[in-house]
Amino acid sequence: MTSSAVDPQVLAAARRRTFLALFTALAVALHTLEYLLPAPAPWFRLGFANILTLAALFLYGPRAAWGVTLGRVLLGSLVVGTLFSPGFFLSLAGGTAATAVMTAAYRLGGRRIGPVGVSALGAVGHALGQLALAYLLLVRHPGLWQLLPAFLLFALGAGLANGFAASWLLDLLRGHPAFRGEQEE
Amino acid sequence: MKALWARTTGLDRLIVAVLLLGILASFFLLGARPQGERVLVERGGRLLFSAPLAENRVVDLEGPLGITRLEIRDGQVRILASPCPTKACIGMGAIACAGEMLACVPNELLVRIEGAGKGAAHDLLSR
Repeated sequence: MTSSAVDPQVLAAARRRTFLALFTALAVALHTLEYLLPAPAPWFRLGFANILTLAALFLYGPRAAWGVTLGRVLLGSLVVGTLFSPGFFLSLAGGTAATAVMTAAYRLGGRRIGPVGVSALGAVGHALGQLALAYLLLVRHPGLWQLLPAFLLFALGAGLANGFAASWLLDLLRGHPAFRGEQEE
Repeated sequence: MKALWARTTGLDRLIVAVLLLGILASFFLLGARPQGERVLVERGGRLLFSAPLAENRVVDLEGPLGITRLEIRDGQVRILASPCPTKACIGMGAIACAGEMLACVPNELLVRIEGAGKGAAHDLLSR
């Protein structure tokens, strides 16, 4: 690196901001891509964007994870044109619930919990948050809860896949020079 | 690339196992369908008979093999007697919930229960 005169702390902060911006941008891209994919049913989406939230959580901590999730939902919805539509609020509720569950699990689990476990919890949290809001805001039909088991099972499967993807991404990133010495707070 | 198993910690596996168990349990708890409203009997896709589930009665239904006797009692439907050789339809027992079915294949009868609602529609939420 050429910036030898710069305070290493300033450098680390700049790096961190840059990578978080990249994570958010990638998450928005995945959010958009997923929107374009045909879904078998309204809520059966894979949640690839969560891979980036997981990466931010494990590299930079809970605050970064919140930033990536909220930024992704806002920008992603803006890109696909669903901002402030019912779909946006469902996304927001799911993302908020998932991130709350994931950051809590990360704080409580510490070293014993890996991205796969956090992702599985997050996926289920996402599904529950989304369905709860759908029930409160839109459907108000008890039949909605019959969708829950199948929905949760699907979410768990997707969560596992995303967890493994995040684990692989973290390995890749941690091996990179830019992340040397970068540990979670 | 590391094996998938090596990417999980013990706690991860525990979490996944617990979630999976919880979800499977929820299939049984929430999977129960609402009480049905009407009993419909079809033969070869044509509606043969229809009655409210709440009314107790016994009906005789004509099939190619003969008469199948159907009983509606206390919100449940069962086949009492059938001319078919296997009697599998009688062995299916009683049904009560919307979406459930009884079938007598040899006698070409299909008994199903229809619910009140059409289920949660997706209209507003199609994304």
